Amino acid sequence: MIRLTKRVEFCAAHRYVNPRWGEDENRRRFGKAVNLHGHNYVLEVTIQGTPAPDTGMVMDLKALKDLIVDAVLIHLDHKNLNVDVPALVGRLPTPENLAVTIWGLLAPRLVGGSLYRIRLCEDDGSAVDYYGEWDRP
Amino acid sequence: MSGDVATGGVPVVEVTQRFRFAAAHRMHNPRLSAEENRRLYGRCNHANGHGHTYRVAVTIRGPIATETGRLEDRDRLCEIVQARVLDRFDQADLDGLITPADGVTSTAEVLTGVLWRILEEALPAGRLVRLRVEETPNNICELDSDGRGEQRPRSGK
Repeated sequence: MIRLTKRVEFCAAHRYVNPRWGEDENRRRFGKAVNLHGHNYVLEVTIQGTPAPDTGMVMDLKALKDLIVDAVLIHLDHKNLNVDVPALVGRLPTPENLAVTIWGLLAPRLVGGSLYRIRLCEDDGSAVDYYGEWDRP
Repeated sequence: MSGDVATGGVPVVEVTQRFRFAAAHRMHNPRLSAEENRRLYGRCNHANGHGHTYRVAVTIRGPIATETGRLEDRDRLCEIVQARVLDRFDQADLDGLITPADGVTSTAEVLTGVLWRILEEALPAGRLVRLRVEETPNNICELDSDGRGEQRPRSGK
């Protein structure tokens, strides 16, 4: 097994508001992130698999890029994550929730390799990694 | 808000936050002779010390909090690193902060172990999963909670 990563970027706006809380509580918990703002997101999609003997590839990186565009970027790039993304409805558009959502959009459509990790960066200072894990009660 | 309606479960994520601090140090083992120190540590043994801009990446792991959509303790991590690491280690001489119990001298490995213990003590059990310390862009030390990258004594310069 070997891992292969495709890196893409997208730009989107969001704000953090929990509708169950009042304005003061939202501002106390989320600070300036209650205001509509945006990021240049960096998304790294990592798949794992075995290179096919005929091609030497786990998956054609161009095909992976096309899939990321079709399954993910078309929904997120230059959008408002609070209102434009059906897969995010009812969830705060944090990078944590976004990484989980992106996993859900991509994993069922991957052919060849299997999804290993979604890494999402809002900026150079932090990254969220999601490996498809759930904490079951 | 981030939970799964069907199962009541929540996704588990890892969040890495990056920080940097500037510090001085000198590699010197007081149990060795001057000649042995020079041979072992080379220019890092320079008598008047030198320094680095250390880059630190801290990775924590846990469930996404339903109400905030964020990994629990993510905001607290920044406060912990500020109070317990940056306030102490930034613009400081590492050799005044590292004790013989930590290690023989302030190598990247010893420093990584020191920072790991500081962070592990301040965070809930199991939260800290990885620590990466870049002494320079070319010299990088990592510790994982599963024991990978375990501290080893420096074998050369």
